Amino acid sequence: MAVTAPTKPTAPAGFWAHLWDMMTTTDHKKIGIFYLAGSFFFFGLAGLMAVAIRLQLATPNGTLLVGDAYNQMLTMHGATMLFFFIIPAGLSGFGNFILPLMLGERDVALPRINSFAAWLWLFSGIIIYHSLFFGGAPDVGWTFYYPFSTTRPGHGTDLFMVGVILLGLSSLLGSANFAATVYNLRTKGLSLWKMPIFVWGIFATSMLSLFALAGITAASLLVYLDRHLGLTLFNPANGGDPVLFQQFFWFYSHPAVYIMLLPYLGIAAEVASTFAKKPVFGYRFMVFALVGIAVVGFLVWAHHMFTVGESLLFQLVFVFFTALVAVPTGVKIFSLLGTLWGGQLEFKTPLLFVMGFLFNFLLGGITGVMLAVVPFDYSVHDSYFVVAHFHNVLMAGSGFLAFAGLYYWWPKITGRTYSEQWGRLHFWFFLVGYLLTFMPQYVLGFLGMPRRYYTYPDGNYLWNEMNFVSTIGAILLAVGGIFWLIGMIDSFRRNQKAADNPWGGYTLEWATTSPPPAYNFAVRFPTSFPSERPLYDWPREGLKMQPDDPSHVHLPVPTVWPFMTALGLTVAGVGLALDWASSWPVILAGALVFVYSLFQWAITWEYDHPVEHHTVTGKSNAWVGMAWFIVSEIALFAILIAGYLYLRLTGAAVPPETRPPVWLALLNTFFLVTSSFVVHYAHHDLRLNRPNPFRFGLLITIILGFVFFLFQSYEFLNFHSHSSWQENVWTAAFFIIVGLHGLHVVIGGTGLSLVYYQALHRRLSPSQHGTLEAASMYWHLVDAVWLFIVSIFYLW
Amino acid sequence: MLRRSRVWAILLLGVAFALGDGGYNINILDPATSNNREVSKLLWWVMGFAAVIFVVVIGAMTYIVLKFKKRGNEVGEPPQFHGNDRLEITWTLIPFLIVCVIFGLTARGMFEISQVPPDAMPVKVTAHLFWWDFEYPEQGIRTSNELILPVNRPVNFEITSNEAGPAKPVIHSFRVASLAGTQDAIPGIVTTRWFKPEKEGVYYGQCAELCGASHSNMRFRVIVVSQAEFDRFVQGAKAFQATTPADPVAAKGQQLFNAQCTACHAINNTQYRSKIGPDLTFFGNRLTLGAGIWNNTPERLEAWIKNSPGMKPGSLMPPFPQLSAEDARSIAAYLESLKVEGLDFSKLPKF
Repeated sequence: MAVTAPTKPTAPAGFWAHLWDMMTTTDHKKIGIFYLAGSFFFFGLAGLMAVAIRLQLATPNGTLLVGDAYNQMLTMHGATMLFFFIIPAGLSGFGNFILPLMLGERDVALPRINSFAAWLWLFSGIIIYHSLFFGGAPDVGWTFYYPFSTTRPGHGTDLFMVGVILLGLSSLLGSANFAATVYNLRTKGLSLWKMPIFVWGIFATSMLSLFALAGITAASLLVYLDRHLGLTLFNPANGGDPVLFQQFFWFYSHPAVYIMLLPYLGIAAEVASTFAKKPVFGYRFMVFALVGIAVVGFLVWAHHMFTVGESLLFQLVFVFFTALVAVPTGVKIFSLLGTLWGGQLEFKTPLLFVMGFLFNFLLGGITGVMLAVVPFDYSVHDSYFVVAHFHNVLMAGSGFLAFAGLYYWWPKITGRTYSEQWGRLHFWFFLVGYLLTFMPQYVLGFLGMPRRYYTYPDGNYLWNEMNFVSTIGAILLAVGGIFWLIGMIDSFRRNQKAADNPWGGYTLEWATTSPPPAYNFAVRFPTSFPSERPLYDWPREGLKMQPDDPSHVHLPVPTVWPFMTALGLTVAGVGLALDWASSWPVILAGALVFVYSLFQWAITWEYDHPVEHHTVTGKSNAWVGMAWFIVSEIALFAILIAGYLYLRLTGAAVPPETRPPVWLALLNTFFLVTSSFVVHYAHHDLRLNRPNPFRFGLLITIILGFVFFLFQSYEFLNFHSHSSWQENVWTAAFFIIVGLHGLHVVIGGTGLSLVYYQALHRRLSPSQHGTLEAASMYWHLVDAVWLFIVSIFYLW
Repeated sequence: MLRRSRVWAILLLGVAFALGDGGYNINILDPATSNNREVSKLLWWVMGFAAVIFVVVIGAMTYIVLKFKKRGNEVGEPPQFHGNDRLEITWTLIPFLIVCVIFGLTARGMFEISQVPPDAMPVKVTAHLFWWDFEYPEQGIRTSNELILPVNRPVNFEITSNEAGPAKPVIHSFRVASLAGTQDAIPGIVTTRWFKPEKEGVYYGQCAELCGASHSNMRFRVIVVSQAEFDRFVQGAKAFQATTPADPVAAKGQQLFNAQCTACHAINNTQYRSKIGPDLTFFGNRLTLGAGIWNNTPERLEAWIKNSPGMKPGSLMPPFPQLSAEDARSIAAYLESLKVEGLDFSKLPKF
């Protein structure tokens, strides 16, 4: 789409036109707004659930939400707040809108993948909420512990699991996209060490997602398979280990806590620097701290499991790293204070929320260290002390910063000013409401009240009083939420045009209009970046931004196929969650839409005009994106294989007498390894501009993959006929891991077929063939994983 | 203390709270066990460090707000400093040292509380949906939902989760807040925790892992009594005989019970030994009903017998609508007659 500049104001389009625009857009700003609007809506929804929970607990023996109804409410509250508010608002919402602007770019690296991920995110939410029509919402807690999650009737938990898996896919694609963007797309002269802290926050978070997300995928996949096929590694009845579920789950879900925090720490740094009119204090240490939190965050997951009876040594390792996380986290707090120190502070709403964050995050940090003291943790495990602690860091920590970001970038995103009065009221009600809700919950933790209780008896010492005060706090929070809504509506009604840089910000998002045009910038930036504050440095160095004619800018063409692909996947997912015997037409319909849309997407030009893209690394965006995505695939197999090795080495998993034959596996290895070489030479042919040998080579690769798949299917049917995964956990591990590899063969083969289809439609050229690079890299991964599988399942 | 807080609450909220089935002074720092004293000690250390950090950070924040608030009369821009390596290294190292000290203290504390005394009495705990089963392997006794222990004797709990009936076992968590920390009850795995109660009383126990509709109704009691009283309980329990009650109402109740209830419930020294439901051998000694939810009164017991899931969501005990009110009353009378004589726990303080 060529930009016609300047865009003339047109008559306001109708609802359907807006919807169509959203369905087809590849504009990172619209996608950012989509995530922001969605996630703040989910915040309101889950907030109302929290109020309902508090109303039930206002008095002893409440009757508003009893038993399963209460469990459904707490599950949906937790899952919505985590998966649909706090993770996406910072990472996907602000990340999408602000990050390319801060990098001085026109879009993200993979705009169409971005659109697909955004819709898949919303659809996975719809899938989970869909459960209300299929026997009730999930009631197993957002943690869906095994075996509890396999005992619940209805389809609520199935839809939850499918939703979580698709959400994970969306999150991985989003993260790979951000990582590729930061890697590949930075305006000339902007080195990694001159990026704003917020960009570092998004970058670190994306890496965390890519490395960790496999944990929850493995956990939810195995719960899903157990519910449908009895296929799992966790069932003690066949030698499995229920604690292994928790290892998988927390391997993601603890790093996820930092996924929920790091983007927001970036926001805090930006707001503090802008409102203090100073640079951030200790830029390098702030980056080290971000990366440090991300790295150490991987070594603390088992602190959620101190009470499962692991060995003393195992617990001690996790105690150390859990306490150690406090060090980089402390550095962040001190650096923020250093940034504010000596400034000229304007206490506008964003800064108020940052101050509120500092206070509350300090409390949350202190109680976090207290929880690392294991004997104390034993005493308050799963009590209200824990509830108060994680709300302290997530709600009054990250949540407050989400609002800081919302108010800070509101003028940039909407192009309108907001009223400070409503903003201040919102802040103070949130702060007081927050403290009133959660400080009594710390006390309840000392007084022994467990979490996830829908009722409590009348008259335990101070239980009635603390719960009542807590409910009053929740109502104040709800009132604060109403002020927030009024403030936003007020901003739209007054419709007062915001300045381009109302706060005097220093980063590049303030170098364009509010709201930014589709092409982002109508200027060329100087290529010298003395610090992370270009807008401060340039005027002082006499550097000027050169006006640039945006009419030569080419942006990606809108296309509906990413949306349709996500829709197809969603429909198939819903079908897969229900009873397969009756839902197979749904699965089939969804799969057809998915595959058809995918192939249409493949042959739709990304740009309507041949464009050469400069990338920082010189590699294509598809190559870099796939390289990051593959990290998550490796992690998924690594986690499952680690689980298998654990079961095998502890003697729980014993191979049956007759195993699948080795000769067939070796023959299959030959096919797969050959195909890897073939695709490599095909790639070579394309680069030498020999289209016919290239297409032939690609076809041979696909056929070899297909033959592999046929042999594998034969072996599965054969082995299944004389074995039972419900009796032998080795057999279960075999079917899960080898089966998952088979699924990857299908995915990889589909990827190659897409490239073949593109080749038939002449969409590839010796210089433009990122999809082939991505597909063949993925195919090599499928190959490499197979070599591991052969050695640990067939040869060992 | 209790009374004063209650008066305070009434004044503040204008709402009068009546004492109900609760009334427990639960306190995870109750010095009744060496475990809790160790926790308190660790907590003092951590709180000491926390207080220092808190004062420093909040002090700095207060100073920043008072001193650097923009007043409009500032000239030029504030000083543009980018950092101070020495300061930054200092505020990385000091927390690191604090963390190391806390780690050392924690490791020592964990080691201390994990040492099971050699004379500890074993008790097997099995968690069910939604109740608790206790076995004393040394004494050869089984009891459900109310565990009776001698004071000043260490007890080592072997904890697991299982279901004798058709339900699939799930993870629960064993917790007596005023005595010791939490320990998960996991199907297929036995975990352990020990404590030595040093104070007589009735202690409030709970499930601490989400397990279903009545997760919050899966309570129990640990009744700590003198050694003499415990011995009396053990002897009475071992010699227990469920004879036909003299009271004709209770005698009819026995017939009904044997016909209707023994598929799931066991009575000591009888042919009825099913472990699907709680053991009811000493039901007359029980303080509570429905897994520690209500005080044990005949009215509630009758209602419970007729419609357990109606009173406790998700209870696996089926409702008995076919029983008349009179039938329920006679079963209740029989159950209340099942007791070891001479034991009364109702006067013990509640923790």
